[in-house]
Amino acid sequence: MKHPSEEHDLIRWLDGEMNEAERTAFEERLKLDPVLAKEAEQMRALSASLRTHLPAEMKVPHADYFNTQIGVRIAQMALDDARAKQTGSSWSAALQWLRQPWFALTGAAALAVLGFFLLGPNASGASESMILSSYTPNTNVQARAYHDDAAEATVLMLDGLDAVPSEKKVSGIHVLRSEVEPELASTTMYDDQGAAVLMISRDALGNPMISPRG
Amino acid sequence: MKTFLSALIFGLCAAFASAQEANPVVSSVHHATDGHVWGALIFATNDASQLTGAQEAVHAELPKLNERLAKVFPFKHFEILGQHRQDIFREYESWVVPSRDLFMKIDSKGPADKGGVNLHLQVWREQQVLVKSDAVLRKDSPLFIGGPPWKQGRLIFVLFLERK
Repeated sequence: MKHPSEEHDLIRWLDGEMNEAERTAFEERLKLDPVLAKEAEQMRALSASLRTHLPAEMKVPHADYFNTQIGVRIAQMALDDARAKQTGSSWSAALQWLRQPWFALTGAAALAVLGFFLLGPNASGASESMILSSYTPNTNVQARAYHDDAAEATVLMLDGLDAVPSEKKVSGIHVLRSEVEPELASTTMYDDQGAAVLMISRDALGNPMISPRG
Repeated sequence: MKTFLSALIFGLCAAFASAQEANPVVSSVHHATDGHVWGALIFATNDASQLTGAQEAVHAELPKLNERLAKVFPFKHFEILGQHRQDIFREYESWVVPSRDLFMKIDSKGPADKGGVNLHLQVWREQQVLVKSDAVLRKDSPLFIGGPPWKQGRLIFVLFLERK
């Protein structure tokens, strides 16, 4: 039986969410642990099979999903309230209604959302870009979002990222346009001269593959 | 007159056919878009000797970019290493790749209320996703993403919704 942390590591490895050091260490463990290696291979095969038979991207709830849900809940509460009044319900019935477990949850969620919009860093004007939510797979990385009025920009600061080695050459590309090939699930990038500079697609795990490699 | 018109039509058809033979058909499928972005990878440092010498020009719709970056990031020098202008495809994922080392995947979630576009963003460092985010990107309001340290400086990703 695998330890829960092994399970977690395996999923993070499959999802490409490990940094280089973690990935190297985990792949060393795979070499030493044939049971874990077999499990990894089975999960990788399952993942590839699922990707073959399912859309590359599942529909996820929109960022406004929770707001919508809260709106629906509030509407339900208002409806329930109106019905209660129509039937001449007593105070005890109202108290019963307040005791509903979803009421506390909904109230807390509504307050959280209200607080986010009133007090949050992105609560200013509607003409600004906004970060609605962020998630960093690496738990050592923290994401902070705020609007900087002086810079007239919205900032998403990622703290705790591993440094790029100084000796590594980080170079840029100038891309002016791209062409997507849905059948091949790839995109080809072109420079200002119309020459193809690179193509990006995905591997069996869904991770991006850039070719030619730099 | 009739003869002249017939000759003209024949000539045009012949010229068109000739042009088709000379220029093989190039895929020119236009997919629906929700806007256009400019993405750039920027190196920020206090040591001018560390600059790479890249000669990329800043986007014309993004004035005083270096001064604005300096208000957020405590560095003196900002150098655009690479840049990418990209359509935001409505039905397909869009990649903004100003560098092979740090790039972004964008999924459009449609137009935003009061202007701009709803996006799901993923910043990738080679094979590793650094952050996933839901965002509203609006014109004249760039997004600065503070990326990993590099050579006593920092890599910054800038994303900007073009006006066109």
